[in-house]
Amino acid sequence: MIRIVTLAPFDAGDITFLSKTLYRSFGVGTEHQGERALPRKAERPDGRFDALKLLADAPAVRAYADDKVLYICDVELANPKGPLGEPPAWGHALQGGDRALVSTFRFKPRGVTEASIEIYRRRLARESIHHLGHVWDLHHCYDARCAMHPSWSPSLPDDPEFDLDTFCREKSERRIRLAKT
Amino acid sequence: MVTVSAVRTPGKRERTDRKKGDEEVPSGAGAISSSADLAAGDRVVYPKQGVYAVTGLEQKDIAGQRLEFVRMTREEDGASVLVPLNKVTSIGLRRVASATDIEGVFHYLGASYDDPELDWKVRHRDNVERLIAGGVLGVAEVVKGLHSLSRLRPLPTKERELYDSSRHLLVNEISVSLGVPDVIAEDYIDFALMPPAGVKLPLKPPPTPVELKGPPWKRKKPVASEEEDDLGLGDLGIDLGALEGVGLGTADEAEEGESKGEEQSEEEEVPVAVVVAPVAAKAPAPKKKPSKAAPAKRKAAKRAKTAPAKAPAKAPPKKAAAKKAAPARKAAKPGKPAKGKKK
Repeated sequence: MIRIVTLAPFDAGDITFLSKTLYRSFGVGTEHQGERALPRKAERPDGRFDALKLLADAPAVRAYADDKVLYICDVELANPKGPLGEPPAWGHALQGGDRALVSTFRFKPRGVTEASIEIYRRRLARESIHHLGHVWDLHHCYDARCAMHPSWSPSLPDDPEFDLDTFCREKSERRIRLAKT
Repeated sequence: MVTVSAVRTPGKRERTDRKKGDEEVPSGAGAISSSADLAAGDRVVYPKQGVYAVTGLEQKDIAGQRLEFVRMTREEDGASVLVPLNKVTSIGLRRVASATDIEGVFHYLGASYDDPELDWKVRHRDNVERLIAGGVLGVAEVVKGLHSLSRLRPLPTKERELYDSSRHLLVNEISVSLGVPDVIAEDYIDFALMPPAGVKLPLKPPPTPVELKGPPWKRKKPVASEEEDDLGLGDLGIDLGALEGVGLGTADEAEEGESKGEEQSEEEEVPVAVVVAPVAAKAPAPKKKPSKAAPAKRKAAKRAKTAPAKAPAKAPPKKAAAKKAAPARKAAKPGKPAKGKKK
């Protein structure tokens, strides 16, 4: 089961849309576990939040062995600097682990029109599928139409697809099947 | 003699990368040249498997023989592997890449790439070789090569799997070497491969890849020379003129053949050394088992001597026979019923 935990106030409609999309993508039940406080310890001097630390310090929720917890926040995240620079952080996940984090900071503003809300929801769904995919051991995909394509890729359209491609879907299905207790 | 080189966890497909008489894998960067180099606690990379931690040496009685093994545990999932001490050098174990090597890998990944190899046979063989003997840069080469190819066209299933597994190996090694989580290591890789719009990477000249040489790893491109094209059909008494057009396929057929060949090669898991030398294997075959076609050839030669003028006259019936045989071949294909057999 996927348990969604919000670390900031989010619209109920957005969470409902997200739950439905996650269920459709992974075939696993999804439930909103409520809102929790954002761990302030993860904040860095520059005002951004350390993605690794935020996920590690995120408040625990009651979950069973195979449950995955998805945290959603709206603060700017930062990744550790790599040899060629710092990759943009849209979220973080524990590869093959049990928790993932998504930030809506880099999304286009939600706005008030139906179209902008739709785009916002689709992006939230895409990033959630992407980071939950890592939790199920998926790697990045070269196909820009797949949700596992890197979020910052220049080949990604403004309003990207939020489905997995065949290879990633089959791989995630295998993992989920194996994980069932 | 026990030929098992590793004990794997259940659920993982057993792969036999080499034959019993293992050839030495060319030593790449950080390769372990002697079993004495290994000590408990060392972290090594098992080609195509991942990063292992050496647990220690063990002695086991197998088939009445006392054998020494190195026990290693895969860091990713805790799977245990026993490698016979005398096989340590031949399986291509190497040290985990240093931070300097990893930096070179990123400069390689970020560098502009010349055209990817389009010949799938060459590509497949190269990729397998590089994964085994190319070190961490070899794995990066496979990822970059397949990534570049994926920009031209979607990868076939087997290559998609190879791309995923080599990416997994690279992520794993970078993560261990730099001490960052896997997801961050993968972000670093893709940041180099597909930098965001407007970002200019501080690239240096990439390191030179490991040259794969040596007898079992002959880097010979399968160029279709006349000698190789000669399948010996003339010796079997088959008129090649009658089969004109048979070998000429459309681009679609070639593509189909490519994917079939890829699947076959992957299923068989043929050692690279065997794949490289198809011509050498061809020569001794007739000596061991003389084919039935040999007398036919002699008869044909006699006929040609006695009545050379009749030979061209006999050619048309052969063509006709070939045409007759063609529908039969079509009918033999599953799922494609012959037109003539429609009821």
